[in-house]
Amino acid sequence: MKIERDASGGFVFSEVEPPLVELFMAISAAADPEGSRAAQERLFPEPTEQKEESLRAEWDEFVRPELREAFENAAVMVEGDLEAMASGGEELTIPRDHVDAWLSTLNQARLALAARYEVSEADLNRAAAYPPRDERDMAVSQIHVYGLLQECLLQGLEAE
Amino acid sequence: MNATQTETKSQTKTALETPWNVVVHNDPVNLMSYVTLVFRRVFGFSKEKAEEHMLEVHHKGRSIVWSGGRERAELYVQQLHAYLLLATMERAA
Repeated sequence: MKIERDASGGFVFSEVEPPLVELFMAISAAADPEGSRAAQERLFPEPTEQKEESLRAEWDEFVRPELREAFENAAVMVEGDLEAMASGGEELTIPRDHVDAWLSTLNQARLALAARYEVSEADLNRAAAYPPRDERDMAVSQIHVYGLLQECLLQGLEAE
Repeated sequence: MNATQTETKSQTKTALETPWNVVVHNDPVNLMSYVTLVFRRVFGFSKEKAEEHMLEVHHKGRSIVWSGGRERAELYVQQLHAYLLLATMERAA
């Protein structure tokens, strides 16, 4: 896979290998915390560890719905870029103004996968099993690959 | 004003004035470079200060990144949650 910046500051990932294309296409599904209480709790954490019931209620009523909407909007933007990749072959373009949506969705995916499959720090420090033996191995691979993608974007932003 | 009213008023004032800490907790999944970026964006920290807090989170498990009024603390925690950091607010001891 080659990574370049285009004239408008967008990121262009070309010659993306088929296994990576497959993992990229799975980002928004991985980011969806539906069906996993642990993933939901990680994406929408409590605002305090203290006994502050009014604050928790406020969070439930106002903040969590806003966060949910923001996460969903970011994922929709990412899906749009992935659809363009699917129709154009092995090249993924992330326009500069989509980078924050990508950082968010990649992070949602990594956190939701780690929570859903109870992936620990020790798991992340071990080399990922290849080929993956089960869904959990696959989740660990996804977390690593999405992390690399995030790191590329972060380094690009840092260089601006 | 009687003694009870004075006491209640005083307690309310104390509650309003008690500073709140915004705390970021360690999360092994979030990238260190990402956490640094978020601190710079949300609090306007220099790169050095952002890295200092990020390393404190990483090594000590938590870092108090801001202290002040409740309303502003809520706003910061909301922003940190929007960036998917594990953040809470707590009354300062």
